[in-house]
Amino acid sequence: MVGGVAIAVGVWEVASITNVISSTALASVNATVAAIGAHAGALSSAAGQTLEAWAVGLMVATVAGVLLGTLVGRSRVADALTETLVRMMRPLPSLALIPIAILIAGLGLKMTAGLVAFTSFWPIFINTRYGVDQVESLLIETATTLGMRRVTLVRKVVLPAAAPLIASGFQVAVSLALSVTVAVELVGGTGGIGSYVLAAQQANAVANMYAGIVVGGIVGWMLNTVFAVLFRQLLPWAHRREGSQ
Amino acid sequence: MIAGSRRAARLRRVGFWALGWVGLGVALLAWQVAAAVDHSPLIPTFTSTLAALWHMLASSFVPSELVPSMIRLVIGFVVSAVIGVVVGLFTGYYRVVRDWTTAVFDFSRSLPTPLLIPVALVLFGLGGTMVVVVIASAAIWPVLINTSNATAALDPTLVDTARCLGLRGPFLLAKVILPAVSPKIFAGLRVAISVSLAVLVVAEILGGSSGIGYFISSAQQSFQITDSYAGVLVLCLLGWIADSVFLFVERRLLVWQRGIVGGGHG
Repeated sequence: MVGGVAIAVGVWEVASITNVISSTALASVNATVAAIGAHAGALSSAAGQTLEAWAVGLMVATVAGVLLGTLVGRSRVADALTETLVRMMRPLPSLALIPIAILIAGLGLKMTAGLVAFTSFWPIFINTRYGVDQVESLLIETATTLGMRRVTLVRKVVLPAAAPLIASGFQVAVSLALSVTVAVELVGGTGGIGSYVLAAQQANAVANMYAGIVVGGIVGWMLNTVFAVLFRQLLPWAHRREGSQ
Repeated sequence: MIAGSRRAARLRRVGFWALGWVGLGVALLAWQVAAAVDHSPLIPTFTSTLAALWHMLASSFVPSELVPSMIRLVIGFVVSAVIGVVVGLFTGYYRVVRDWTTAVFDFSRSLPTPLLIPVALVLFGLGGTMVVVVIASAAIWPVLINTSNATAALDPTLVDTARCLGLRGPFLLAKVILPAVSPKIFAGLRVAISVSLAVLVVAEILGGSSGIGYFISSAQQSFQITDSYAGVLVLCLLGWIADSVFLFVERRLLVWQRGIVGGGHG
């Protein structure tokens, strides 16, 4: 583990010392670490701004995705009605909507969070719909026979049974949302890590640019790890689906 | 009896399929009505977007924007698929390699890929090469991780049996390992295609001098909003076509896996 990281860092250092990649494009490891130290304040406030838009968007997407996914997944007709629409919207790169979203909502948290919510809605909605649809009918029939009311049935039986799939949809959304946030910041210049990196590039401050990228990577890695651990704790009945990206 | 129930099942399937298109129609109608009522210059109606699209298709849009984007998309995707599968097989098969690379790969795939665009801009300047590099470095991860995980999870009995029967090297790979991991590879490739499309657009917005992303953003900047919408519509169709082709090929190639793959998650 640690050895692998050491080798990667070593390759980076060698590439920058030997000038395989010119120093106008690649900062050395030392310079990058120094830049992180020197600009810790600016970097952490940029990361905070990115996380804010990420969190607001993801929260909206989760509530809407689970709610609508459950409703649609419980009904055959609603499922069929939304099928084509979902298959057209899902692969749509919502990043293409950035220019339009800027026009409609202006530059700001509302626009960024809105786009993040729109993008992360799909994996959560699709997985919830699928998960709810896949719940064994035996479970549902048993609960109904035992006199369980509809809302209780969804809350106590359907959602827990679908939870592993919902969780894996959510995990896809976690990293997707971060990518969208950063992309909007790059295009719109609305602050956050994306704008930080682009500004550094435009100012030819290579070390700062790499500092921003490393911080962005750390943020992404931390988010992924936190939720992976969290779900393993919360959903012990979910046998992990390997390789669900 | 059996024939009857089979016919009923087919009818039901056709019914569901038709309902899907009804749903799409309702959504488009809602767009049309909302835009017509709202009268905002920022939200054109569906019909005027279609008209703009028609106009674009008749002009130079196809050769000067659509074709360059498609070429970049295909090259970037193929590069990421080839490298992803090869490296994934390697790290999945050899435990040591996997142990040494896990941390670095975990970090790299957690890195929000749009952040790589400024780096690619510095290295390759504006234009197509930069876009291809960004696509390849973003789309590689779902393929690599899926291939690696599936190879690592292979039943050792399967590989050992093949070995005992004298299969070695390339034959073992082609006849046993690849077929066994191909469903997972396909799942990864399907994710990679939509990642490619998404990254293509941002890279072209930020540093393209042609392409759909460039078109959408420059139409917005010159207040040709309807053209922007038409560009998004083109992307919508592209994504849908790519996804459908994919499902079709997957079903053809992986007939024996039906039921395991193609469940709509991720």
